[in-house]
Amino acid sequence: MPRFHFHIQENGRFIEDEEGQEFHDWDQVRREAVATGTSIARDAFVNGTARQVTVHVNRDGSPFMKVSISLDVEDQPVPSAEA
Amino acid sequence: MDPRSITDALVRRMRAISGKTEEELQVLRGLPITVKAFRPDQAVVREGDRPTECCLIAAGFCLRSKTTSSGQQQILSIHIPGEIPDLQSLYLQVMDHDLVALTNCTLGLISHAVVRQLFRRQPEIAEMFWRDTLIDAAMFREWLVNIGQRPAPSRLAHILAELRDRLRVVGLADGDSFEMPLTQERIGEAMGVTAIHANRVIKQLRADKIVDVHRGQVTILDEAKFQELADFDARYLHQSPTL
Repeated sequence: MPRFHFHIQENGRFIEDEEGQEFHDWDQVRREAVATGTSIARDAFVNGTARQVTVHVNRDGSPFMKVSISLDVEDQPVPSAEA
Repeated sequence: MDPRSITDALVRRMRAISGKTEEELQVLRGLPITVKAFRPDQAVVREGDRPTECCLIAAGFCLRSKTTSSGQQQILSIHIPGEIPDLQSLYLQVMDHDLVALTNCTLGLISHAVVRQLFRRQPEIAEMFWRDTLIDAAMFREWLVNIGQRPAPSRLAHILAELRDRLRVVGLADGDSFEMPLTQERIGEAMGVTAIHANRVIKQLRADKIVDVHRGQVTILDEAKFQELADFDARYLHQSPTL
């Protein structure tokens, strides 16, 4: 069974997955990558420590999948009182 | 294991939580107990089983867990020597979760009939185990708050802080280091995150020089920072009847 490594990029910081895991199919890998990215993003986005989380999935050492999650917070202009 | 020492951790823990003396707890030492060894990952009892005995952990670690229909596993609690994690089966006949050995374990199996007889004959012993069961419930409440509300690094720190306190009661944690024999995947299942996220948290806590979790061993690197991160107040463990 192929071995998948999930490397995490949080803003500039890169965290390597040395252990890796085995998966049966593409959808399992996608689920793991998205679940990992979103749960890391939840903490980082709420704490304001990152606006971008990317999960780089390698299959037996070669790039296989990239999941990017980004945050966009936009202030809305306050309507002026005179208008 | 020497048959007498099977109940050592239990007696030690019960002395702490109930304030009873060694003499008052002597009855526990005399219980007929079948000693059985379990391997890592071996199920002690499974969801749906109808056990006729409860198991006392004399040595090793166990965990309780539940699996969703889609196969996602959630660890509910980690258990250490001196605990009887399936005491509930005494009154709730069907297991509603799994109890699994995490490491090589020495378990003491005590028949339900023997425990029931003991409780009827000595209500003060029954009351002590009732208190113990309520503490078990208090730990589940805390676990729920932890999983539901704390960010991942605090969640892990809290689990570690609780485990350390409980290990101390049975003399299995002194100094800054103690055992927590969970793989990265299992740590994830305890925290309710993926193994990769758990790995990321472990690395961050190590890089921040707060706590080092490595090969089943935990070393606190900065006690003050660890305490702050863990947001841990031991009150819910009710470790002394005078508190």
